[in-house]
Amino acid sequence: MTAQPLAIPSRSHYLTAQKERGRKVLGVFPAQYPREILWAHDIAPMEIWDPPLEPGSAPAHLQPYICAVVRQGLELVLRGGAARLDGLLVPHTCDSLQNLASLLNDYLELPVPVLFFYHPKEPFRDSARAYYRRQLTILDQKLAARFGPRREGALEQAVAWGQRVAELAGRTYDLRARGQLSAPALEFYRVLRAGEFLHPEDHIPLLEEFLAVHQGPAPAGPVVLLSGVLPNPKELLSLLDQQGARVGHDDFLGLSRRLLFPASQAADPFDALCEQYFALPPCSTRGSALSQRLDWLKGLAQASGARGVIFYVVKFCEPELFDVPPLMAGLKEQGLATMSLEVELNQGVSGQIATRVEAFLEMLS
Amino acid sequence: MPFYAGIDVGSLSSDAVIIDQEGRMLGSAITETGAHSTQAAEKALDLALAQAGLSRGDLAFSVATGYGRVSVPMAQKTITEISCHGLGAHAIFPNTRTVIDIGGQDSKAISLDERGKVVDFVMNDKCAAGTGRFLEVMAGKLGLTLDDLGRLSLAAAGEVSISSVCTVFAESEVVSLVARNHPREQIVRGLHRAIVNRVAAMVGGLGVKEAVTMSGGVAKNAGVVALMAERLGINIQVPPEPQIVGALGAALLARRQAG
Ligand SMILES: Nc1ncnc2c1ncn2[C@@H]1O[C@H](COP(=O)(O)OP(=O)(O)OP(=O)(O)O)[C@@H](O)[C@H]1O
Ligand SMILES: [Mg+2]
Repeated sequence: MTAQPLAIPSRSHYLTAQKERGRKVLGVFPAQYPREILWAHDIAPMEIWDPPLEPGSAPAHLQPYICAVVRQGLELVLRGGAARLDGLLVPHTCDSLQNLASLLNDYLELPVPVLFFYHPKEPFRDSARAYYRRQLTILDQKLAARFGPRREGALEQAVAWGQRVAELAGRTYDLRARGQLSAPALEFYRVLRAGEFLHPEDHIPLLEEFLAVHQGPAPAGPVVLLSGVLPNPKELLSLLDQQGARVGHDDFLGLSRRLLFPASQAADPFDALCEQYFALPPCSTRGSALSQRLDWLKGLAQASGARGVIFYVVKFCEPELFDVPPLMAGLKEQGLATMSLEVELNQGVSGQIATRVEAFLEMLS
Repeated sequence: MPFYAGIDVGSLSSDAVIIDQEGRMLGSAITETGAHSTQAAEKALDLALAQAGLSRGDLAFSVATGYGRVSVPMAQKTITEISCHGLGAHAIFPNTRTVIDIGGQDSKAISLDERGKVVDFVMNDKCAAGTGRFLEVMAGKLGLTLDDLGRLSLAAAGEVSISSVCTVFAESEVVSLVARNHPREQIVRGLHRAIVNRVAAMVGGLGVKEAVTMSGGVAKNAGVVALMAERLGINIQVPPEPQIVGALGAALLARRQAG
């Protein structure tokens, strides 16, 4: 019944192995960027979301209200984390990350280049599509200028990998929504989040194995939907598992909001990437309208039978915090129970938070 | 005849209630939690059993609640204090639709349906601002007992305003008010007001549905109850012994589990 956790290498070992096999490694900050273009240049992205570091000198560079994702990411860089990398990439996700980008680029005199990636925010007009396509080619050219031209056919291959990852992720989400995935939430997110640093050549077989091992009935307890930036602290997932709850679906920025898209049929790889970007689920960091996000969440709840929604809010994630209160109000109107938990990254779960989560599950059952 | 126990191991008090098959309360006890949750739970349970003239062997099922619920090996199941206070308050006052439980370290507002089931709740996070512990620290600073607080607050002719409910800041505020010879009862009223404002904001977020019942040790403080009723503009019901409401709810859930 309880399958062994699948073997996943540590980030650090994996980074070394990637370098040994001749790949470049870029540290990438959240959230949205065209992974396929990096893969096509034989670059392995190593995403920096929530490195488990004690606070050191990063707070000295940042205002106290800057979120932990930015703080921890900067901490990693300040401790020399960039030295093993071939560069950093900062997507324009929010003001705090944009700020971090200029800090990294203008003030810290890092030994590696810092690249940026800009993507359009809603409302998406034709000009947004043209803009996004241009940003893709600019990134492609910048990488070529730094690391040499990409191989013939490499981008097509990378797009195919991206689509295969999305297809497998979509299948696992789908099975889980229907209560046909036996994996505990902790294992589910460990395997899906491994894509933050595994090359698709390694992540694809891992996802395939995960699907093979874990098809089977889910726990019969209350079903909840999770929303927020990312499932950290992971102790919350263990708590849900212990309580016999099932995560029916999620709306995490780091997961479904960028993993789940239908494969484009376009022949041109840039066209395909473009189409896929605009088909992603609604997201606070892409400026999606509240009504769109609300409908999306309602749809996820319906598809998975979830009767409650838990928001994991990383203090003080501005794009998310603006949306959470009206989303909660809108969901409540639909008869869904909601709860928001303000969390610090990697700091476990306090007794109070555990009590709130357990009480929430009791309320649903 | 089977009997059921509810054991509420809170941050400050550990309480137990014994009921029979009909839900009649046969015994109850309130003890200090202290540094050993398991021992405190055992002590509360044994005192309540003694009052009921029973022993542990007579119990068909026990439920533990409160933040120390995982440290109660005698209980077959744990249920959060939110569900337990809801059900306990409903058992005492079946018209209850909102419960305000202010304990030693947490304050909670709970919405109930007509059967006493939780439909929504809010709870403070992390610090002891606006809880019983805050009042205890302040009473200590003022050289008062808990029993004095409510009486003095009700008797106060006026009130000084306390700007912070953070225990650390409020403590130094109180020290300087004392140094400036402000009447103690006015400081006490101000402290109660600070707690009430904080908890009322939480209750407001949930939406107050009448009837409102207060539970937890702080409901024994008539000063807090009076200001809360005034602030919310409603009547507030207080059970004869508000501190055992959680344990009563746990005992009722134990009976339900067994049934
Ligand atoms: N006789 C009394 N008069 C006034 N207040 C009292 C009295 N006895 C207890 N209290 C208040 O009750 C508080 C403790 O409440 P209670 O026993 O419900 O807390 P708890 O359940 O241990 O805590 P928590 O639920 O937060 O973990 C004390 O901090 C004190 O402020
Ligand atoms: Mg309590």
